[in-house]
Amino acid sequence: MTRRQRRLLLLGAGLGVLGLAAALVLSALKDSIVFFNSPSDIVEKRVTPGTRIRLGGLVAPGSLERGSELAVRFQVTDGNRAISVAYRGILPDLFREGQGVIAEGALDTAGVFKADNVLAKHDEKYMPREVADALKKQGYWKDDAQKRDAARPPRQVP
Amino acid sequence: MPLIDLANPSRFLALVGKMLPWLVAATLVALAAGLWQALFVAPDDYQQGATVKIMFVHVPSAWLAMAIWALMSIAALGTLAWRHPLADVAAKAAAPLGAGFTFLCLLTGSLWGRPMWGTYWVWDARLTSVLVMFLMYLGLIALWRTVEDPSRAGRAAAILTLVGAINLPIIKFSVDWWNTLHQPASVVRVGGPAIHPSILVPLLTMALALTLLFATLHLAAMRNEILRRRVRTMQMLAAQGASA
Amino acid sequence: MISLKALLIRDVRIAVRIGGGALMGVLFFLSIVTLTPFALGPDLKLLARIGPAILWIGALLASLLALDRLFAADHEDGSLDLILMGRAPLELVVAAKALAHWLTTGLPLVIASPILGLILNLDANAIAAVAATLLVGTPALTYMGTIGAALAVTLRRGGLLLPVLVLPLTIPVLIFGVAAANAAAGGTVSFAAPFTILCALTLMSIVVGPFAAAAALRAGME
Repeated sequence: MTRRQRRLLLLGAGLGVLGLAAALVLSALKDSIVFFNSPSDIVEKRVTPGTRIRLGGLVAPGSLERGSELAVRFQVTDGNRAISVAYRGILPDLFREGQGVIAEGALDTAGVFKADNVLAKHDEKYMPREVADALKKQGYWKDDAQKRDAARPPRQVP
Repeated sequence: MPLIDLANPSRFLALVGKMLPWLVAATLVALAAGLWQALFVAPDDYQQGATVKIMFVHVPSAWLAMAIWALMSIAALGTLAWRHPLADVAAKAAAPLGAGFTFLCLLTGSLWGRPMWGTYWVWDARLTSVLVMFLMYLGLIALWRTVEDPSRAGRAAAILTLVGAINLPIIKFSVDWWNTLHQPASVVRVGGPAIHPSILVPLLTMALALTLLFATLHLAAMRNEILRRRVRTMQMLAAQGASA
Repeated sequence: MISLKALLIRDVRIAVRIGGGALMGVLFFLSIVTLTPFALGPDLKLLARIGPAILWIGALLASLLALDRLFAADHEDGSLDLILMGRAPLELVVAAKALAHWLTTGLPLVIASPILGLILNLDANAIAAVAATLLVGTPALTYMGTIGAALAVTLRRGGLLLPVLVLPLTIPVLIFGVAAANAAAGGTVSFAAPFTILCALTLMSIVVGPFAAAAALRAGME
């Protein structure tokens, strides 16, 4: 083998191994490395109470109850299943019903998710308030990413 | 002007001298226009209110942070493959600016995340990969600072820059591959931007302004680096003359 | 091929006979793992929960700190110049040297990890998972580290520069290694997904590391 052929062989072998690595990554991504779990995941995988996890989903409309001393309860849903979450503390500005939310904590034995941290997730859309209102009035309020209540105006959180 | 002409540092210096005043003027105009639009013209977001204005600094810094690494990767190829004498200077001058924009991106993102998400920092894929890029910028700067011989340091940095370029697609697509807390891309995405024009236009103006700012600072830094190397050569010659 | 095999055997022999390499790495690993419980205070449950992470951090630091001798000794006695002038492709030479280095420093860490897992109060399941992830993951650390080792020898700078340059490159390995180990110990993610990505990272660094390190040696040694 000449030097040149050997170099080409080496490069080919290197690229082959890289391709294999890429294929492995893609096959694993189907199984999805997650930052958070949806309520369905948690129910299906029978997560044991006490295991620390992140629960992600939409705040179910109409489920928010405020107790005394910043205590709140709400339901997180992904359309199929819902899990109730209990939290005490200040909620982020973007926290509203129908919006994405991620809670960190663990299930208790009664199946209630005790959160010690609640994060709000927002989508990639930005628009002025008038435009959002106009879109809603005309009934063009489409949300491809999340199933949001179509007619509901954005609720102001006190 | 072909790139080969710029291989002569003196010609490059002359060109930079002519261009810099214009670039400074253009930067000032664009920055003024961008800030005025961002602060006074752009409307509040329907969900985030006035906090959305942080985006006008955050997003352009993030774009620039990645673009500067890409620029340094091209310069690294220039150093290793074509031995272009200015490639190494360009990469060295760009690194602190890249680190600065990455830091600005992380800082504004943090300040934005606190009111909106409810936290300054989470370890999701997008934030972590940008932090890794910041660390690699700092590593490169440390390398240039600790190694005296500029050409030796330049070649070593070029190799590291190319290895670090693997991180760029990870940063860009992290929000699509993993379900992160950070929202998916708003501007560069399939199906066109998801930002209303009244917010998108100020954003793009600010991006242009910060890009011009980078170009100005980068050219000035390159000029300084070339002059610094000349001084170094002269000092070494003088020292040799004195000892001989 | 013959020269590569000879190089591999030579490197392993040097490491084993001089002693330093393998034993020192394990000793360092042991010291780090011993230090953490003191920093945490008496809490066996907490220790069991973060045990995989402690073992991974310890193994990462131990395998990185041993790296700066990878080319330095050969550089000092002149054999690196002979290797550079030799007919064998430099990329393969680097790969062979890294393999020898892993056999003498990485593998002992993997073998030592179950015992250290026991003193960290890990259960059998978690110990097996940590050992498996370390077995797959430590080669990635060594091969990525070859880049830093090559730069350190061409720049004639050792010390802190090498870890500063290499540590950011190892973050993905650490993330997926610990994720897989924790998944096996209980949790919501499956073990297979992060473990597959860890395997992919190792394969990737087996290619990227030697190519970049060889380029660094060629560019720096002229």
